[in-house]
Amino acid sequence: MTVSSRTGQHLTDTVRQTIFIILISVALGAAVNLIRPDSIPFVETWSMADKLVTEDGETLAIPLEDAAALFADNAAVFLDARTPAEYAQGHIQGAVNLPWHEVDNYFETVIMTLDPETTTITYCDGEACPLSHDLAMLLKDLGFTRVKVLVNGWSLWKEHNLPVTTSSS
Amino acid sequence: MPQQKLSHDIILTIGYHFTRLVMAGVFIYASIDKIIHPDLFSEAVYNYQVLPGYLVNLTALILPWLELTLGTCLLINRWMAGASALAAMLMALFLGMILFNLARGLDISCGCFSAAPDEDPITLLTLARDILFLIFSLGLAGLVYIRKARDVMEILGENQGGRWE
Repeated sequence: MTVSSRTGQHLTDTVRQTIFIILISVALGAAVNLIRPDSIPFVETWSMADKLVTEDGETLAIPLEDAAALFADNAAVFLDARTPAEYAQGHIQGAVNLPWHEVDNYFETVIMTLDPETTTITYCDGEACPLSHDLAMLLKDLGFTRVKVLVNGWSLWKEHNLPVTTSSS
Repeated sequence: MPQQKLSHDIILTIGYHFTRLVMAGVFIYASIDKIIHPDLFSEAVYNYQVLPGYLVNLTALILPWLELTLGTCLLINRWMAGASALAAMLMALFLGMILFNLARGLDISCGCFSAAPDEDPITLLTLARDILFLIFSLGLAGLVYIRKARDVMEILGENQGGRWE
């Protein structure tokens, strides 16, 4: 048997076995999802707007214009859910940093100082950034009544030349 | 000469079984939490923002089972050519996704060993870990090939030296 025919045989085996393994996995994945009680739909439309609707049908997302109006009236607290480093580089003017990944460390210094009745707007960066949404859910659970999420907040805010604080300013 | 060949074979055998069992453990362990929580894992997949929406759930449903099946193949030492190649391909894919998201600066969860979106953020350590696993998988795929070539030679009577078990 030559080296090339050995390699050819090995390649054939590899492809055949790979296909078998994939087919078994597809069958198992589909079968288990069909019979389990907590199954998920095989195909689902995923968008941030859908995720921002609470169980009681309330929409958490706030349009930029509304957020900007509240900002102008000084009628809302803006919470930046990104990391302290990102916050330090630049944030919405007057926003408070409440990094989602270290939220426990900010309980006393930030969350306890907020008024649960004030309108609170969380934001992070990117269309699908989950931090602001997760933070908003936590605040709602803690009893904050007026929580909103400004989706893709930091990028939008900058694009519209709204007031920001940056590390250079 | 046969003595040297034998010790060489032992090293290759140990390397083969070591990488095989480590990667079996990695894939099986990685699959469990995702299989238990498909809803959370689908969210982790979505957060990577690399797949069109309609493929998110399908990926979240199939990928953990792929990890489990190939991990099981590695564990029981069956279909090794396919399993080791798939392991290397998956690790390369995961590594690519992690690099892509580190470069984009997306602050998302890895979804590597835990399905929960709040755990397991992507860091440089995640990257180092995945590079190590990719090296293991590639090494294993190479060893599977060498092993098979040796078996063939033995059957053909070309190799009377040490045996590979």
